[in-house]
Amino acid sequence: MNAIGAALALLPALGAGIMMGFATAKATEAVARQPEASGKINSILLMGLALAESTAIYAFVIALILATSV
Amino acid sequence: MKNMLFLGVSAALSVVCLIGYFLSKSKADSHPEDPKAKKRKKLFFIGVILMGWFFLGTVCNILLGGSKGIHVEFEMFSPRTEVFGISFAETSLIAIGVTGVILVLALWFRIFCVPKFSEDKPTKVQLVMEFAVEWIDKYTHSNVEADTGCLSSYLMALALYMVGCASAELFGLRAPTSDITVTFGMGLITFILINYYSIRKKHLSGRIKGMASPTPVVFPFRIISDIAVPVSLACRLFGNMLGGLIVMELLKGALGGYMFGVAPVAGLYFNLFHPLIQTYIFITLSLTFINEACEGEGYHKKEKKAKA
Repeated sequence: MNAIGAALALLPALGAGIMMGFATAKATEAVARQPEASGKINSILLMGLALAESTAIYAFVIALILATSV
Repeated sequence: MKNMLFLGVSAALSVVCLIGYFLSKSKADSHPEDPKAKKRKKLFFIGVILMGWFFLGTVCNILLGGSKGIHVEFEMFSPRTEVFGISFAETSLIAIGVTGVILVLALWFRIFCVPKFSEDKPTKVQLVMEFAVEWIDKYTHSNVEADTGCLSSYLMALALYMVGCASAELFGLRAPTSDITVTFGMGLITFILINYYSIRKKHLSGRIKGMASPTPVVFPFRIISDIAVPVSLACRLFGNMLGGLIVMELLKGALGGYMFGVAPVAGLYFNLFHPLIQTYIFITLSLTFINEACEGEGYHKKEKKAKA
């Protein structure tokens, strides 16, 4: 039962992956349009990726807690 | 039995590749215009490396016992050991070691390198240190508009500590940052800094007023989101570091002796590149939260405006 719960808890990783892809795509577009602003775009992108990634990481931690507790 | 077979095959193939490499090398040296000989030399070189890896991996397998299949042994909380009758978590002992190494390095730089610094002829160490200090100073001031005092030096120490902790994993120790107590401690420091800078700039009344704007209804939600900051910072770092640890453990379990040669390449990504990104993100998020809390009119500015 715990294993199923852990697997289900990892579902947010799907959303995080898709949305990180969207963010990177938009950032690439922005850099292509304005190459001189790439430094600023880069830092904003990293920041956004970190925030988007955190959902996946919370899911990962919860899944680990579920999987290791008997 | 299987190992012995692998050993013989890999040894024979590596010897064949080595002979082929030297033969094609002499041919390529005598006929420099021939592009085929050069290509053959390259191919044999790759073969030597692959077969050598296979051979040495098999030797490791025989000496240390082969792969145990894909199963991971790890604990969420690190095991405890007794030192002088006091119970310590192993990760905190490693963290103390890392801090000691950083302190010794800092002392060494201060005593032997800093006196040699000159403005006319900067040494190599001086250039590197000046670049690092300038970068972190600029980064802090571009992110936080309020007067931050020595915040940048704290961030530098934090970055050094986190990178040091991550590189402890390269030596086979468990990284202290993959223990949630360590990361939660760092998150708490950020929480205290947020409130310290905000209250210093706006005073307690300004801080509470800033949390209750635009309407007092948001006040409890603001408190919840403030408390969530250290938790989210701690969980982010912890999850990332533990993820790297588990991937490395999985690789170790699956490859057995063939981990030889794969470990430095995979470790470079999971134990060095990821922690560096995480350090950058931790610093950036801390600065952003501090800036957010310091935003709005300062207490002193308001007084001056009222007088004018």
